[in-house]
Amino acid sequence: MLLRIEAIHARYDQTPVLRDVSIEARRGEAVAVIGPNGAGKTTLLRTIIGMLRPSQGRVLYDGRHLDGLRPFEVARLGVVYVPAEKELFPGMSVLENLELGAYREAGATRRRLSYVFGLFPRLEERRRQLAGTLSGGEQQMLAIGRALMAGPKVLLLDEPSTGLAPKAVADLYRRLSRLKTEGLTILLTEQQVPLALSLTDRAYVLEQGSIRMSGASGDLLGDPAIKKAYLGVS
Amino acid sequence: MSARDALARYADLAVVAFGLALVPLFAGDSPYYLRIATLALVYMAWTVAFNLIFGHTKQLFLCLGALAGSAAYVSVVLAKELQLSPWVTIPIGAGAATLLGALFSYVSVLRGLGVIFLGIVTLAFSLIFHNAVLGLRQLTNGETGLVTRGLGFALLEQPKPGYYVFLVLLMLSLVAYCVLMSSRTGMAFRALSDDELTAELAGIDVTWHKVLAAAVGSGILGLVGAFYAFYNGIVSPSVFSFVGVDIPVLIALLLGGMRTRLGPVLGAAAFALIEELVRPFGQLNVLVYGILLIVLFTAFREGLVAMLRKVFRGSGPRRDRA
Amino acid sequence: MIAILFDGIVQGLQLSLLAVGITLIYGLGGVLNLAHGQFAVFGGVCAALLLAQGVHAVPASLGGIAAAGALGVVVDRTLLLPAYRYRGEERLLLGLILTLGLSFVIDGTLNYRFPHFSLTLHVPLQSVTIAGIPMRTAGLATSLIAILVFAALFAFLRWTLLGKAIRSIIENEVGAELCGIDPARTRTFIVGLAAMMAGLAGVAQGLFSSLGTEMGPEFTILGLLVAVVGGVRSVNGTLAAGVLLGIVNAFASHYIGAYIAFIILLSAAMATILVRPQGLLAHGT
Repeated sequence: MLLRIEAIHARYDQTPVLRDVSIEARRGEAVAVIGPNGAGKTTLLRTIIGMLRPSQGRVLYDGRHLDGLRPFEVARLGVVYVPAEKELFPGMSVLENLELGAYREAGATRRRLSYVFGLFPRLEERRRQLAGTLSGGEQQMLAIGRALMAGPKVLLLDEPSTGLAPKAVADLYRRLSRLKTEGLTILLTEQQVPLALSLTDRAYVLEQGSIRMSGASGDLLGDPAIKKAYLGVS
Repeated sequence: MSARDALARYADLAVVAFGLALVPLFAGDSPYYLRIATLALVYMAWTVAFNLIFGHTKQLFLCLGALAGSAAYVSVVLAKELQLSPWVTIPIGAGAATLLGALFSYVSVLRGLGVIFLGIVTLAFSLIFHNAVLGLRQLTNGETGLVTRGLGFALLEQPKPGYYVFLVLLMLSLVAYCVLMSSRTGMAFRALSDDELTAELAGIDVTWHKVLAAAVGSGILGLVGAFYAFYNGIVSPSVFSFVGVDIPVLIALLLGGMRTRLGPVLGAAAFALIEELVRPFGQLNVLVYGILLIVLFTAFREGLVAMLRKVFRGSGPRRDRA
Repeated sequence: MIAILFDGIVQGLQLSLLAVGITLIYGLGGVLNLAHGQFAVFGGVCAALLLAQGVHAVPASLGGIAAAGALGVVVDRTLLLPAYRYRGEERLLLGLILTLGLSFVIDGTLNYRFPHFSLTLHVPLQSVTIAGIPMRTAGLATSLIAILVFAALFAFLRWTLLGKAIRSIIENEVGAELCGIDPARTRTFIVGLAAMMAGLAGVAQGLFSSLGTEMGPEFTILGLLVAVVGGVRSVNGTLAAGVLLGIVNAFASHYIGAYIAFIILLSAAMATILVRPQGLLAHGT
C-alpha cells in the first residue's frame, strides 16, 4: 500500500499552512514527520484524513484519490487517524469505544478485540470503565487500540508520545514496532525527535509549512543540522 | 462635530424623515391606510431596536413582544389603577422594559449562555408574559384586554397626530442608533459581533457593551410599545404576541439588512406591503412568514439595503455608512 | 388525587416522546427543531385522512406515524442542508430559524386546508378499573405504548451497534467520523425516528382527548421545555423530566390554575438553563 502526498498546499481561511509538501510511505514502512510547533504537522495529517481540503495537490492511496473524501470515507478505506486530542467517547466504556472502532467491519470485532487486548492488557482490565475516567496514558492506548480495531492498512498518529511518562512512551513505541513488522504502514508526527527517528525507517523535516529535509532516519539522526536544531547539541 | 459633518452624517435620516412626513398627505382621508402607515412606523422603530440587540451584538432575544407588552401593560395598568397621566406611566413602563432587557443580557453573559439558550430563556419569558397577562385577569382583563381611550392621551387618539408622534419616536430611535454606532461604542459592537473572545482580549468590555445594546434596544421596544398601546385604543395579549411582534420584526430586519442604518426602515416598510398583499388570504399569512424566514436566511442574507447599494453603486461618491 | 397523578403520568409520557425526539435531533444534528410539534400534528392529520378513507384505526395510526417519519427524513435531506454546512453556533442559529420557518409553513398549510380539523380516536372500552382505581383506557393504552417505545429505544441505544454509533456521535462527532461512521446518514435516520415518535405523540393525543391542527406550537414548546429540563443531550434525563413535569403540571393545573401551572413549567426551564444547563436530571448521556 502506497500512501503518497503530492505537492499539497493547504490553508486555514487565508493563511497558508502547508506549501508544496510531498511525502510518501510504502507498505510496512514507518515514516516520521518531525518539526517544531506550528510547522504544520497536524495540518498535514488532517489533510490526509480529509478534515481539511488541500487548495492544491493530491493525496493518493494505492492509486486512489483521498483528497475530497470525507473523513469517514477515508477511514473506511483503511487509513485511520489517531489525533493528538484522541477524540474518544468519554461517557462510553472502553469496550464500547473499541467496538465502535470496528464499526465498518463489525464481523471482525471479536478477533480484533482479543488482538488489541493482547497488545494492551491494561485496556482489558478496564474494559467496563468509562473512557473519560482513564489516565492520560490509558486514553492514549485506547485511542490507538480503537484505531487498530478498524484493521487499518495505514495508521496516522499525531504526536503519540504527548503526555506520556517516558516508560509509557518506550512501551508504546515497542508495540508500534511490533505492528510495523506485521505489515502496517505508519505515518507519525513527533516532537520527541530521537524517539521518532529511532523507531522509523524514514523521516521528513517539516518547518514553516515546507519540507526542508528528508532521508533515512538513521542518517538524519547523525546529521549536524538536525542535531543542532532538535537534539540540543551544538 | 462641525455643522457640515453633522449634516453629512444625518443627511440620509433627514431624507427619510422628510419622506415619511409626507405620507399622510398621500394616505389622505383614508384612516385605514394611515393606520397601516402608523403601524409600519411602530415596527420600524422596533426593528431598529432588534438591530441593536441581535444585529450588532448577536443576542437572540425572542421576547420582543413581551418586552414591548410589559411596558405597555405597566403603563396602562398604572394609568388606570392609580389615575396617573400616561406621560408619567409611559416612562415607567419603558424603564421596566429597559431593566428587563438589561437583566436578560447581563445574566446571559454572566452564565455564558450561547445564542440558543438565550433564545430559549427569552422565549420562555415571552410565554410567561403571555400567561401572566391571562392569569392576572383581575388586573389585565385577560384575553379581552384593557381599553386605553380616555386615559389622558388625547393626542394619540387622532390618526394624523398619532402618525407624527410615532414618526418622532422612530427618528429618535434612529438618532440614538446613529449616535451609538458612530462613537467608540459602535466600533466595539463591530468588534464583538465579529469575535467576542478577540474583542475581550483587545480590551473591550464585552459585558458592558452587550448589556448597553440590550438596554437601549429594550428601552426603545418598551417606549414605542407603551405609546402604541395608547394609540391602539386597546391593549391585549394578542397585540404583543410572539407571532404578532417577534416574527415580523425578525423578518423585517433580515429583509432590510442587519447592521445597516436604514435596513430596519426599508425592511419594515417592505413587510407592511407584504402583509397587505397577503391579507385577503387569511390564515395563509403564517405560511408566507415561514417561507420568508427560510428564503431570507438561506438565499437573501444581505437584505434590501445591500441590494440597493449594488444597484446605485455607480452614482457618485458614497459616504461610508455605519 | 390518584386520578390527577395518573393524568400527569400519561401526559408526561407523551411529552417525553416529543422531548426525546428534540433531544436526539439536537444531540446528533446540532439543530434545535422548532417544528417538532408540527411533525406530531402532521402525523395525526395523516392518520385522520387515512381513517376518512375507511382504513381501520390501527393501520391508520401506523400510517400517520410513518408519514411523520417520512416528513422528518425529507426535511433533514432538504431544508436543513444549508444548516449542516456550518458547525456549532452558526448551525444552531440557522437550524433554529429554518425550523421556525418550517413550523409556520406547516401550521399555515394545515390550518388553511383543515380549518375545523379534529382527530379523535375512539376506544371500545371507556375505562377500566385496576386495583380499585378507575382509569381511562385511552390513557392506559397510550402510556403503555409510550413505555414500550422508550424501552425499545433504550435497548436499541444501549445494545445495538447502530445505537452505540448514535450515542457516539452525540458524545463526539469527530471521533465517530474517525471510526468510519457517516454522521449525515445516521442523522437522517435519527431525524426520521424522532419524527415518528412525534407522530406517535400526535396520534396518542387524538386517542387521549383530541388533536387539532393548531396544537403544533404548543407541542413544540412543551417538548422543548421537557428537553431543556432533562438536558438537551441526555436521553435518560428527558424521560424522567417528562414524567416529572407532567405530574407537576397536572397537580398545579388542578390546584392553582392552568396559566400559573404553565408559568411554573416555564420557570423550571429557565432556572435549569441558568443554573444547570446540562439538565436537572442529566448525568452524562
